[in-house]
Amino acid sequence: MIDVGTFLARASSDSQDRLIEADEPLAGLQRRCGGELPGVIAVPALLELVRKCRLFRLKSSQAIQAQDGENQIDAWVEVTPKQGESSGCDIVATSWKSQPMKLENLVEYAERKAAIDRQLAELHARLDPAQNILAVEAQALDLADLAARMAQGAGQPWTDFVTIVGSTQRQPMHWRLLDGATLVIDGSDRRWKAGFVPLGVPEPGSAGFELYFVADQPLIRTQSAILQRPDRSKATMVGRDIAPVLRQPIARIVANAETIRTRLAGPLADEYGRYATDISAAGKHLLALVEDLADLEIVEAENFSTAPDRIDLADVARRAAGILSVRAQEKGIAIEAPQDGAHLPAIGEFRRVLQVLLNLVGNAIRYTPEGSTIWLRLAREEGIARVIVADQGPGLTEEQQKKVFEKFERLGRTGDGGTGLGLYISRRLARAMNGDLTVESAPGEGARFILDIPANQVAVTRP
Amino acid sequence: MSQFGDRTTEEILSDTLIRGDAALASTVPILRHLLENDDQSMFTDEIVARVRGMVRHIARQLLFALAEAAGESDPHAFAEHGFERLTGLLARDSALLGHAHTLALEYQLCERLYARIGLDPVLSPFLRTLFAASGTETSPAAMAVVAAQARFCQQQRRMELPLAELPEALFQSALSALHMPAVDLEQQIVTAAQSQLRAAFDERASRCGLLTRLVASQNQTGTPVLEATQAGVSLFISALAHATGQDRGGIVLAICDRQMTRFALSLRAAGLPAAAIETQFACFHPDAVAPYGFEMVDREQAALILSQSAVEIAD
Repeated sequence: MIDVGTFLARASSDSQDRLIEADEPLAGLQRRCGGELPGVIAVPALLELVRKCRLFRLKSSQAIQAQDGENQIDAWVEVTPKQGESSGCDIVATSWKSQPMKLENLVEYAERKAAIDRQLAELHARLDPAQNILAVEAQALDLADLAARMAQGAGQPWTDFVTIVGSTQRQPMHWRLLDGATLVIDGSDRRWKAGFVPLGVPEPGSAGFELYFVADQPLIRTQSAILQRPDRSKATMVGRDIAPVLRQPIARIVANAETIRTRLAGPLADEYGRYATDISAAGKHLLALVEDLADLEIVEAENFSTAPDRIDLADVARRAAGILSVRAQEKGIAIEAPQDGAHLPAIGEFRRVLQVLLNLVGNAIRYTPEGSTIWLRLAREEGIARVIVADQGPGLTEEQQKKVFEKFERLGRTGDGGTGLGLYISRRLARAMNGDLTVESAPGEGARFILDIPANQVAVTRP
Repeated sequence: MSQFGDRTTEEILSDTLIRGDAALASTVPILRHLLENDDQSMFTDEIVARVRGMVRHIARQLLFALAEAAGESDPHAFAEHGFERLTGLLARDSALLGHAHTLALEYQLCERLYARIGLDPVLSPFLRTLFAASGTETSPAAMAVVAAQARFCQQQRRMELPLAELPEALFQSALSALHMPAVDLEQQIVTAAQSQLRAAFDERASRCGLLTRLVASQNQTGTPVLEATQAGVSLFISALAHATGQDRGGIVLAICDRQMTRFALSLRAAGLPAAAIETQFACFHPDAVAPYGFEMVDREQAALILSQSAVEIAD
């Protein structure tokens, strides 16, 4: 053991946590850990410490451990941020202890190997002492065929079912020779390794074996999904990467604002209550915007398509009305949905049609005066199933009607929770379903939004 | 839209408090158990981790089924959503927790006996004789049990519990957890996922079902299935449960929790003579002696005492 005692090594890092200069033995450790000088700190524990100190402009000292492949190093390191906002740190290492890494004993090594094999294996089988198959189970899709054949061939040696690379010997050989062998398996493009866990005491293998197949790489699970939608990776940046990250903090803002608004934490002056209401409303608006942006990305993807479900447009309209009935009641608005007995068979993706109708009815509730009525009417034209959402709001001028389906078009409105994306998305959805979304209106006479989707001609019209 | 949906802040806060109270109320009994029992093996980190792993695995399977029913292209991303909440919900199902716990304990017993006396959890001496006796034509029931036991060991190592392995009642209650409001889905999608899972469910094909079937086929007393060192841990547990009309989990607890009396009475009720009972004790607890007096009760008395205690627990 080399004990350098209170050795002093100095080093310094820059604003990107690169080691720009270092004394021995720090410099040597950096290189043996695969780093360069100058270069990003390659000692994981040291990098973590330096990064923390730099970010928080905080002086810190702590014990760090590192391994350089041969030695285990225990050191005490003091890190001091340099003056200036965007600079790095001074690093001083004291009490540097280096000792050879303990060699694992063979039993521990075998146990660890067995544990890893068992965890990673995508096929496991139970063999008798002669390596004949007793039971087999596979998880991976590309092994399903092999597993079925092996199960059929229970009682035969497992080696009959795979090709062992680089071996022309009669199989099965002694298990120690087959342990770790590379396998080629019909039906799988991956390379496999065999792993053995011998069972039985005192002679390993006297009670048979556990056999594991471990692949050199994982089967890409979402392969088919990616193939189907090649542009999703870049197209869904908001939906997949940003929206999930934004939802939670915004939801927390809303929750805290609600707490303040409802004065859960104690009495509060009225104006602060109103501020909280504003914060909460703004937060909810942001959430809605995040959802809409995620949707926007999806509908704008080149090969966006919808499922051609057989749906009952009357039923979807009733559901939309039901979902928004409470919001409508709060404003004293009545929604007149299609009668229970009415049916209108159509072809479209259920949840997308519902999304469009929720948007239309939601808009109607937002812009129609208190105490008025919103109608959902069904109509059937040649090959077309139609639902009309009519309100008694202020209506739209010709010019507004032209612009209302445009992206981010708010028609000059603000502060009502709208994002200016709803109608744009809705029209895209309608068109993706081989339908359309249009509007008829005149100022002062309310608006009629008309959703057309293909009728289901085959469906028998029920009485 | 908002994560809070239709729940008010007040409801959320009060729910949190109720959960907190429940957690506080359970600390003392847990502590008392740990203090009173020298044998801590019922609640080792490993056991707790396995139980947690199994509950999470169930949640994941349920969410995957939902994703499939909803036609989601990326079920993994979908399953992230609502996962913690569903896991929490399932963890409050004490019957499910108890079942997962006894499975973890059963596996622990399997491992211990393998380490101590080389008793194979998958292919026990008794199963080996079934294989050998039938020559090339191996008994399908024995074959199925070996495969199921191999799966069980692999699942336990991976801390998994497939839905298909649940007893019917637990399976149904796990399915009903899908009605939670965390996932913003149409009711009909949830129903579709449930009926899909129900259609695939067959309790008789589960490991416990297969073990019981094999035990039932050996219906004369004194067969090796009531000898742990012959039958193997899992088959022995099933045999004892079958012979005494008790729950498998109850037998596991009686063995693990050193409920010597319950264990001895169960063996007695299964018709084992005193010497054989001593042997079974020595197998699971080499350092303990069988409780005093069990040889003085006969088979019927033992069964009667057991059934009365079961009634009291149920009450």
